[in-house]
Amino acid sequence: MTTTTTTPPEYDITLKHKLAGRKHEPVTERKDDTLQILGRLVNYTAGGERRPRFLRAMLIRLVAIAMLIAIPFLTGQAIDVVSAPDGALNMLFLWTGLALVAGVAYLALSIVAERVFSDLATRGLANLQQDLFARMQALSLRFFDQQPLGDLMSRVTNDTETVSLFYESAVSQIIRALFQIVMILIVMFLINWQLTLVALVMVPIMLLVTAVIHRISTPAFTQMQERLGNVSGFQEETISGQKVISSSRRQVWAIDSNDDLAGDVYEVATKAFFTSLLQFPLTQTMTMLQIVSVLVVGSLMALNGTLAIGTVIAFTGYAALLSGPLSDIANLTATTLNAVAGGRRVFAIMDEQPTVVDAPDAAHFQFKGGHVEFDDVDFSYVPGRKILKHNSFEALPGQMIGICGPTGAGKSTIINILTRYYDLDSGAIRIDGQEISQLTQESLRKQIGVVLQEAFLFSDTVMNNLKYAREGATEEEVIAAAKQANAHDFITNLPQGYDTLMTERGANLSQGQRQMITIARAMVADPKILVLDEATSNVDTRTEKLIQEGLGRLMEGRTSFVIAHRLSTIRHAHKILVVNGGEIEEQGSHDELMAAQGFYYKLYMSQFKGKGPAGEDGAVDTSGFVST
Amino acid sequence: MLKSFRRMFVIYKGYRLRLVISQVLLLISATASISLATLNQQLINDGLMAGKPLVIIETGIWMVVLALVAGGAMAGTAAFAVFFAQGTAYLIRSELYHKIQTFSFANFDQFRTGNLLTRLSADVNYIANAVLYSVMLLLYAPFMIVVAFVLAWINTPSLIWVLVVVSIVVLAVMAVIVPQIFNAYAQRQQRLEELNNTLQENLAGVRVVKAFVREELEIERFKQRSLAMREPAFAAAFRVAALNPILTATAQIFTALTIAVGGRQVLTAAGLNVGELITFMQYLTLVVTPLAMLAIVVPFILRGDASASRVFEIVDAPPAVIDPPDAKTLDPAAIEGRLAFENVTFAFRRPDGQYDPPALKNISLTVEPGQRVGILGATGAGKTALVNLVPRFYDATQGRITIDGIDVRDFAQDNLRQIVGIALQEAVLFQGDVRFNLKFGNVDAPDETMHGAAQAADAYGFIANLPQTWEAPVARRGYNFSGGQRQRLAISRTLTTLPRVLILDDSTSALDVATESRVQAAIPGFTDNVTTIYIAQRISAVIDLDLIVLMENGAIVATGTHETLLAENPLYQEIYASQLGSGMTPATEERPAEEKPA
Repeated sequence: MTTTTTTPPEYDITLKHKLAGRKHEPVTERKDDTLQILGRLVNYTAGGERRPRFLRAMLIRLVAIAMLIAIPFLTGQAIDVVSAPDGALNMLFLWTGLALVAGVAYLALSIVAERVFSDLATRGLANLQQDLFARMQALSLRFFDQQPLGDLMSRVTNDTETVSLFYESAVSQIIRALFQIVMILIVMFLINWQLTLVALVMVPIMLLVTAVIHRISTPAFTQMQERLGNVSGFQEETISGQKVISSSRRQVWAIDSNDDLAGDVYEVATKAFFTSLLQFPLTQTMTMLQIVSVLVVGSLMALNGTLAIGTVIAFTGYAALLSGPLSDIANLTATTLNAVAGGRRVFAIMDEQPTVVDAPDAAHFQFKGGHVEFDDVDFSYVPGRKILKHNSFEALPGQMIGICGPTGAGKSTIINILTRYYDLDSGAIRIDGQEISQLTQESLRKQIGVVLQEAFLFSDTVMNNLKYAREGATEEEVIAAAKQANAHDFITNLPQGYDTLMTERGANLSQGQRQMITIARAMVADPKILVLDEATSNVDTRTEKLIQEGLGRLMEGRTSFVIAHRLSTIRHAHKILVVNGGEIEEQGSHDELMAAQGFYYKLYMSQFKGKGPAGEDGAVDTSGFVST
Repeated sequence: MLKSFRRMFVIYKGYRLRLVISQVLLLISATASISLATLNQQLINDGLMAGKPLVIIETGIWMVVLALVAGGAMAGTAAFAVFFAQGTAYLIRSELYHKIQTFSFANFDQFRTGNLLTRLSADVNYIANAVLYSVMLLLYAPFMIVVAFVLAWINTPSLIWVLVVVSIVVLAVMAVIVPQIFNAYAQRQQRLEELNNTLQENLAGVRVVKAFVREELEIERFKQRSLAMREPAFAAAFRVAALNPILTATAQIFTALTIAVGGRQVLTAAGLNVGELITFMQYLTLVVTPLAMLAIVVPFILRGDASASRVFEIVDAPPAVIDPPDAKTLDPAAIEGRLAFENVTFAFRRPDGQYDPPALKNISLTVEPGQRVGILGATGAGKTALVNLVPRFYDATQGRITIDGIDVRDFAQDNLRQIVGIALQEAVLFQGDVRFNLKFGNVDAPDETMHGAAQAADAYGFIANLPQTWEAPVARRGYNFSGGQRQRLAISRTLTTLPRVLILDDSTSALDVATESRVQAAIPGFTDNVTTIYIAQRISAVIDLDLIVLMENGAIVATGTHETLLAENPLYQEIYASQLGSGMTPATEERPAEEKPA
């Protein structure tokens, strides 16, 4: 949607949902990378420079937990005082007083620790989002050609949201719960190791059950996130293409397809959530059984005289204390597994490598007038389907090169590789004697200004859209550029002038007006080489004339490439490249090409539809055009 | 409180029985848990203290049974909770999307795609979580608390005030913190939406970003959004995290206080014994545990409520274009196709309800059946705004548009759009295959119609050359086709619907002139006598049409044929000269003066 350039004809893409008769791909078996992803996720909130803070907070929390565990002991002492026949009031107040102090200390320390953890958790999410976004910015266009926008958005929203829940509620809680369990177990072992073993009989069963649940719910969560991506992809596609849906009266289809996709999510989400939620009642039941077994075995042992009655009661208390952190862990399992599934999709993008990378010793582009050479260039978007074949031509400094040819001939592709959005199959492109594959992408693109047919503007003010072109552009420079592009007058006539907000679907501005802004934007960038890809095809000829006056000023002394179907646009180019079927069929000036009476001549004459200067004879046979 | 969340319960109308069963199971589970505590005491008192091993074993077996019952019932509740949570998510995804499908363009001008998508994804998840925890725990907590109060009332009335004080303290803490959490969540979701808008725009404009090498600016912009979202996210997360220790500490502090106060009563023989004190502490746990549970659940519900209100904002938005009660549905084949604009004025409406200055002023134009009309005009002259009124993408502010004398607002929209076919400049295709896309507007069209339409749109050749021809896959938005291919597929798609009024809104802009003229020449042969409106920038696209309409600043300035306009209209002459005469002049060369076409 940003462009109408020849995008890769990838007919081999696999369609997850071929909308007629959709079938699900079988769940692919994949290597269990749960722990690895978990580690990476945790690293974002608790790793690196954040680790000392995390550890300090953890220490504070552990002290708080120690306080919490001390309370039953202190209140137990108080109960003993009360139970004793000669209990002293001051001893009662001493123990309960200490318990109160421990309670208050626990509260204060916990709040301090939670503050740090919440801070780290939200920072972790922000960092994850930012890194993901930064990686997306670094990726090449080829990646965006293949990735539906809605699915990418789903990764930044749905997937990082699952991670957010994990950061906010699970990371520190799981560690806390584990610590609590260990501390309670230590206390229990110290009191009576035989009964502790009885209490632990349930643990292997619990672990086994957890493993089974994990095996079922982890792939289900992964699948759920994927299907959520599918729904988002579909919704994004259809909501942005709403005009077509309503004019084609296919709302019912859209609704049904959406229902189907949402139904797919439902199907796998119920499975994922139910299995992971089962952990909760299972843990509850297991801890209850744990208490029962301790109680029964302990009581029988006590009756045998091998154990004190007080110990049995204390043990049931501790076994009950264990149930808290155990069910916490169970509760957090779903959150964690879901986060791993989301994290996997996030990291899949983060691990993606740009297909176009700067060479290790890439040089900074040195502009020396703008001498552009294409030397036997072959190019394909997908291997085996050549889009450009043996393209060779030369643009001398300051020349205007027109490019024309039938639809799909490869005109826009020439531009895509000149700016190095894609790398070549073979051959070379040199600018001022420097091969572009040996230059940094940044230095190259900063010198090449591109205006595309699709007038993409951000939802921001006109001024900010113009300033976008160059870091540090001042308002004066922007207005000067707009005047050059002859856009100043219409902008000042807008309701709020330069402060007018662009809306997403551009209801308030016509395509042509938006196009004029994009041209003014290119002028703000002040590039050394200029590329116009059908930049004026949406503009009426009057406006085009205004723009061209401006462009004429901009192109002064600069090499420029102009792609146009409207041949009048390129008529005065120094050289016109006529592209047909990926090959440069002819090149020369308008007059030379007309005189040759070849391909260009036919193209030119077809405009008049027999109403031109050559009369009815002007109707030409255009059947030789390879419009793919 | 929770207004939006409660509103959702309408959804469960047909599922009340399941809701009841889920809650009955929950109460069974709660009762079993409480009974376990009672049996626990019984085992100690009647078995251990009394020295009866048989009682110990028998009670132990009962406890195992109860534990299994409690677990089983809870698993049942969990199954229902998942059913309700995911069912709700499904319904909202479905219903909200359904609602969006009823929107007209004016609605879309109000809600950006990113906003709608956030509500369809992140907000739905939060609502699902809220439902999940509500079904699982919302009734559980009050039930446990009531049981504890009743037991305390019966057994230890002298200490019941402690329970009252604890409950008041907890409720007071919640009353302070909960609204803060709610507000923080609402703000967080709003910032998330802003983040998503930034993201969506960045992804959509990736070429512009790369062309101007502004990745760093974009990263910085996103970072600002991300950090802006972090503030309320932290405010919410911290308060949520603090709730748990606050409630735990409250429970522990009150336990210690109870022992101090109650113990003093025991020691001073003021009518309380140790056994009663220990029993009461169990009641205290019975009250505080579910309260702590609420502390976990309430934030989820608040988050869900904040999200639900955002969903309802969309649900409650009235569609800007609706069918009249007695909407007409006519047989498209019987439509002659006389299109008339009668003194039409149109202005865009801003989100605040105010109107922009009119985009169209007093337009009157009649197009006869089968006539081919071209509309030429400067950018912003109102060409697209004019044709958007025909299929009712927008409604005219004043005046009316008729087809065969019938106001377009009297047709059922579905019928109207069957009659009027429009191919847009931005040729959007959908994921599927070529056949699916071509038959998009007319699913039941025979293949011959589709083939004919493709031929007329000059798409037949390249489709036939695809390895899978009509079954060739189309990626989302048609990314795997070039701009020119997409436009021709889009025109084929419109033609396949066999419209009576055909509008081509600059939909051949990516085609070369030769292809464009082939398409224009083939259309009348494909659909006989169709009324056609071409919007174009290229004069070659309108040169041989029956009527050419020149527009400027939202008004019609001239109508006529190529010949009459070329003879009489200076504006037309100017356009003709500029397009088929001179061209873009490189600055290094002087522009040749007044050159005639070669």
